[in-house]
Amino acid sequence: MRAVTRPILIVVMLALLLAPLGLPPFAMTLLTEALILGLFAMSLDLMVGYTRLISFGHAAAYGMGAYACGWMLLHTGMPLLFAVFAAALLTGVIAIAVGWMCTLATGISFSMLTLAFAQLLYAISFKWTSVTGGSDGLAGIPRTSGPLGFAALSGKSGFYYFVLACLVGGFLVCFALVRSPFGAVLRGIRENEAKTTALGYNTRLYKIAVVATSYALGGLAGALYAPFAGFANTELLFWLLSGQALIMVIVGGAGTLVGPILGAAFFMLMEHQLSSLTEAWALYFGLIFIAFVLFAPQGIWGLATAWLRRDAKAS
Amino acid sequence: MTTLAFLLTESLNALSQAALLFFLGVGLTLIFGLMRIVNFAHGALYMLGAFVGYSLAKGSGNFWVALVGAPLLVGMFGAGFELTVLRRLYRRDAHAFLMVTFGLALVVGEAVRLIWGPDALQVAPPSALAGVVFLLDEPFPVYRLFLVATGIVVAVAIWQFLERSKLGLLIRATSQNADMASALGVDVKRIRSSVFGIGCALAALGGVLAAPLVTASNGMAATVIIDAFVIVIIGGMGSFLGSLIGALLVGFVQVFGNYYLPDLALAFMYLVMLAVLVVRPGGLLGKET
Repeated sequence: MRAVTRPILIVVMLALLLAPLGLPPFAMTLLTEALILGLFAMSLDLMVGYTRLISFGHAAAYGMGAYACGWMLLHTGMPLLFAVFAAALLTGVIAIAVGWMCTLATGISFSMLTLAFAQLLYAISFKWTSVTGGSDGLAGIPRTSGPLGFAALSGKSGFYYFVLACLVGGFLVCFALVRSPFGAVLRGIRENEAKTTALGYNTRLYKIAVVATSYALGGLAGALYAPFAGFANTELLFWLLSGQALIMVIVGGAGTLVGPILGAAFFMLMEHQLSSLTEAWALYFGLIFIAFVLFAPQGIWGLATAWLRRDAKAS
Repeated sequence: MTTLAFLLTESLNALSQAALLFFLGVGLTLIFGLMRIVNFAHGALYMLGAFVGYSLAKGSGNFWVALVGAPLLVGMFGAGFELTVLRRLYRRDAHAFLMVTFGLALVVGEAVRLIWGPDALQVAPPSALAGVVFLLDEPFPVYRLFLVATGIVVAVAIWQFLERSKLGLLIRATSQNADMASALGVDVKRIRSSVFGIGCALAALGGVLAAPLVTASNGMAATVIIDAFVIVIIGGMGSFLGSLIGALLVGFVQVFGNYYLPDLALAFMYLVMLAVLVVRPGGLLGKET
């Protein structure tokens, strides 16, 4: 399968590298946002696709990253480069506590706990006005330069390449992780947790670790979004975003890493194409989502690779 | 206001809140007990109930028409959804349900926004229930007393239905062991459709009854689905009595928490849930761990 998909990935990668040369500014903005959402959806895939921990509260990671990064950029004048990673790290550390709490339960209760935690953060973001700006959120988040006068990230294409680098870096981290013995244990948890426990693995620790990693990468995506959009508001913590991330993962193809990125791009495309055609775009998107769960649970990427493999076999 | 009067009115407030929460939680838990499905669309159906109720009340000029009609319509919609969509998924794992019902929540939420618009709609309580009564010299809305009474009536009715009626017996048998029930000649498919419909109807009943208190708004689905989940997690998934206890607990925590610690009221609910989960991972009356 990899032999078939590798050339495609290389072509896509080249296209993404050359994109700032040919695309108009409007399209660049959309593309940057799609990459950020792609990173976000991919981070959720670690939990959903590889460990079958269905999180309904992944917006918590995104929002935490965005608020943390936005606050640091606004109030400390920290260089963008550092603030983004510091926010991701902070999200990951907080996620250890979240993971500990949520993995008290399994299955469906786990999903509910992740949702409850995200909603708690959502409520806090309204109340803790001195830090979060309440219902106004944080506005005017700058793309600070530095260190040592390094200002390439302040510009549009510089920031785009930074986002792209984060996505590729995140992908490589996830890829290495799911191929490692650690990843094998995660798949063991996905297929049969009782058996994995019986083999002597402390599955709870593995689950907490994957939640923390997933949140850290989701927090990285959120941390990129804050300086990208220039604001962070309560919407970023709302459960709707958690749901949309889950849709991106499922529609793209859970447990494939590439799929959720595609799913995010597809989602962005649909949002912009459908929303210009009809006001009811979210309605149609919900229906498309239901159709995917019913008829194509392997997602876009799963369908595409199956088709390519069949093609390769035929030739 | 005397302490006694304060405690009485606040407790009645909490009970009326618990009644609304109970309509949500009991439907969720009945559906879960029977089919091992978590119906994520439950909050959306509650909202749909409120909006359908609004239109029925406005169209007929009679709140009681809405009170009967909205649960009936939403219940039929729910049973239809089970027949056409959920039925295809019984061989798949539980997460497929979670995602499909989540999709339904999105679709219903959007449909409501498109049909009724983005603004919150005011629903007037029936004139017989619009006034206040004086309890220990304190005014208290009649409508909230009506909610408490409805909650008690519905709780007793469901309990008796499950314990005494033929369908209730079949539901309990199917919850225990669907394959065995099917082998004994129970039409499990029909039981599933009807229970899913009943659960949705109960959610809609909660929505219609809540509308005069909180207005029918687009945001109500998200808020109540979390409350409903908290209730069934506290009470234990699939337990009827658990949903009643959970609703009471959450109702009191919300009302008294709001009074004493308004900033922490929400966190308080989650703390109760967390405490329950640490002690009993399956919920107070849940069987599973």
